[in-house]
Amino acid sequence: MLGTLIKKEILNSLFSFRFVAIFALLIVVVPLTTFILTNDYVKKVDEYSFRQNNLENYLKNYAHFNRIGGVILPSQPPIPFYSLVRGISSDVNMGEFDDDPLPVVFPLLDLVFIVSILLSLAALIFSYDAVCCEKEDGTLKLMMSNCLARSKIILSKIIGGTIILLVPFLVSLVLGLFIILLNPRVAWTGANWATLAFVLLGAVIYIFLFLVIGVFISASHHSASASIMTSLFVWVLLILVVPNLSPYLASLMSPAPSQIKMNREISRLTDVERDDLGRKLEAERLAELVKRYPVLAGRFSEAEAKARVEKDPAFREAYQARTKEVDAAWIEANRIQNKKRDDLQQEFGRKVGAQTRLSRGLSMISPLADFTYLATDLTSTGAMNLRHFGRLREIWDQAFDAYEQSKIATLRKKSPAVDWWNTPVDVSDMPRFQYKEEALAARVKRALWPFAIMMMMILVVFVAAYFSFVRYDVR
Amino acid sequence: MTWTIVRKEIIANLLSYKFFIVILLTTLLLFTSFFVLYKDYKGRLADYELVRAKPGEPIAVLPPNPLSIFAKGLDEAMTRSFEISRIGIEVFAGQKSENVIFAFFPTPDFVYIVKVVLSLVALLFGFDQISREKESGVLRLMLSNSVSRAKILAGKWLGNFLSLSVPFLLVTILGFVLINLDPLVRFSASSAARFFLLVLAALIYIALFLSLGILVSALTRRAASSLVILLLIWAVTVFVVPNLGTLVARQMVDVPSVKSLSEKQEQVWTREVLQMIIERRAKDDRGTGDIVKSHFDAINRELNQMEEDYRNKFDRLVRMSKNINRLSPAASFVYATTELAGTGIGEESRLKENILRYKDSVLSSPDRGEKQAPAFAYRYRSVGQVLTQGGLFDLSWLIFFNILFFAASFVAFIRYDVR
Repeated sequence: MLGTLIKKEILNSLFSFRFVAIFALLIVVVPLTTFILTNDYVKKVDEYSFRQNNLENYLKNYAHFNRIGGVILPSQPPIPFYSLVRGISSDVNMGEFDDDPLPVVFPLLDLVFIVSILLSLAALIFSYDAVCCEKEDGTLKLMMSNCLARSKIILSKIIGGTIILLVPFLVSLVLGLFIILLNPRVAWTGANWATLAFVLLGAVIYIFLFLVIGVFISASHHSASASIMTSLFVWVLLILVVPNLSPYLASLMSPAPSQIKMNREISRLTDVERDDLGRKLEAERLAELVKRYPVLAGRFSEAEAKARVEKDPAFREAYQARTKEVDAAWIEANRIQNKKRDDLQQEFGRKVGAQTRLSRGLSMISPLADFTYLATDLTSTGAMNLRHFGRLREIWDQAFDAYEQSKIATLRKKSPAVDWWNTPVDVSDMPRFQYKEEALAARVKRALWPFAIMMMMILVVFVAAYFSFVRYDVR
Repeated sequence: MTWTIVRKEIIANLLSYKFFIVILLTTLLLFTSFFVLYKDYKGRLADYELVRAKPGEPIAVLPPNPLSIFAKGLDEAMTRSFEISRIGIEVFAGQKSENVIFAFFPTPDFVYIVKVVLSLVALLFGFDQISREKESGVLRLMLSNSVSRAKILAGKWLGNFLSLSVPFLLVTILGFVLINLDPLVRFSASSAARFFLLVLAALIYIALFLSLGILVSALTRRAASSLVILLLIWAVTVFVVPNLGTLVARQMVDVPSVKSLSEKQEQVWTREVLQMIIERRAKDDRGTGDIVKSHFDAINRELNQMEEDYRNKFDRLVRMSKNINRLSPAASFVYATTELAGTGIGEESRLKENILRYKDSVLSSPDRGEKQAPAFAYRYRSVGQVLTQGGLFDLSWLIFFNILFFAASFVAFIRYDVR
């Protein structure tokens, strides 16, 4: 019986105007977007290899250790998934004078955007009148006069709706994938296909969730026109408002100092305050020292000291002790202030971390945010990849530091007189930064939360829909 | 007669479930948005107090723009702190950089809410104007009296526009007044004027979607299909076209990425400094003033050229993407409002030009003592300038869409079979 009902739903929708309209929209937008994104990806690949070449040429001729740190900064290479999902990979660069503010004004269009906005809207368009329209037509009355469980009817509506909505989506996506595959410059690996499968699973769950929401709303209204109003109201709140407000609300609930404020505080600690402390410690230690070496009493200039050091061996000894004390005082001052700085940074990191977690948690009320996190984390274009990249970078930093130390040591051994910090060096054997995507298993694990939350929402809304349909007056 | 129809429409709206939902949504959203962005503004103002330039420091930093509460635009980028040094401009960015969730979703400011939510609301007011009354038979009855179709259409448009815009205006103005009570945010007369132009643009934009709704309603027989068409048109105009347009423009204009530019800059200056050190070493560090000067000149020349090249290309990209995006009235609306508020792309690039000029003046002043730099001053473009440099075009483009849709719906309505 369920099969017959689902078939009825599918046939019913297949001939409807909305099916045609959504099909037409998706069949244009999805392949067009993939085409443009793929071209953009290829351009990014070209530019990346151009940049790498430039860097290699530079290193061949001008590599020197004093300023190499700023030159060989690791950067994220474009990954093949960019032709479907962009996430937060866009190149805004607020840290540079010549930034690129365009993505701030209009974010990029990609598969995540299409699924999360267009398909959720389509799901509501398909389901807002699932129950109340049939009531208005009178077919619901007829159906119920047969021996049919209400649970079957409602289940068939949701399943039928999902199937009918997946058809235009999958067809247009297959066309888009063709475009990607036809491009000889894009090579997808098995892991990419597996990732795509997981993203699609997420998309199916997401669409299913919106169908259930639509059916629930439909089953709690008696006219289709009221049902569409409520549906759109809920949609606007869930899709366009909750995610956007959540980081702002989180920053009110769990405040963290801004980066600018932190920089100020850190430079105060390690600059002005360090100098004050250093001078104080120096004065204390010198006062102690004068008791042991009375020759050091009184003030003398650098030149006078130099002259006396050469003449007077006793003074020389005292002066050496003085130099040692001064150094020790400043090392101590630096240690104390650096500790303060580290504590501050840790505190700052803790606060920002708490705020980020809160924003993420708040936004996860919205299925759009869940799907966005799920898809971007799976495809290495989200927040998780930023952290992963940071870890890779740290490992590479350490490797490079070790290389730098040992290289300078061997060079010094060969010719001790040369300033190896400011002399071109052959660094062809230096460790190169290699970006490797995080393992699929780790990415899937991270995506489990959003998956679980969406499943839970489905369960809750489905139960609600069932109960409101059971109580529904079909006359 | 028109007024009778206007009154009928307003009363019908007031009694409807739709009106209740829509007003609830609009009020809720606008007030939340005002509150949240007002707090955000205060936070940024407090930051500004920390980093503002002391007399003589070569730092260019602007206070946050109070109108960014309504149109955030690029205000975050414009209020970064730009510190001038010998080899360039060092930039320190503000608040949002650390919490990565901000990067995922657009800012929910007044402009966003009007662009996305109120346009949808306007469509909901328009989508069934004609087809519903046809379905219920009211249209037939009305036309059996001696009333012209033009009057009916005008009455419907006006009635719905009023029932939508009056609550919207009340909420917006109330929000503006409440924010204005805070002595830290007091809007100047010119800001208030800009704000009213912004609201005017919002009204034109809303009217446009109302006309579009009525047009599609007059082209379809059933309210349900009218709604489906409108929702899809809405999704395309508000989301697809503007977000895809920038990408398309990038395919046509070859702009290097910011990363590649900054890498190249780093390579140039480290190379020159290295060569300078080697040459000085060869001369035993004696009489090397010329060497230093020539290398620093080389750095400045090459970097300036590179940056200028980038900026020229980027300007072309901005122009191109603006023109493509203008296919969608939503983009025109965003351009017009952000420029009016002083947080748009045009204002940002003008600010950058000013900072570059400031850098030249700092570096070329004869006494380059660290604490002697002239203060940086920036005046936002006046409303007149904004309007002549594209603002008027965007506004007239919106009005053009309005007239087009309204005229088309008139034609469609005349041909409409009301039976």
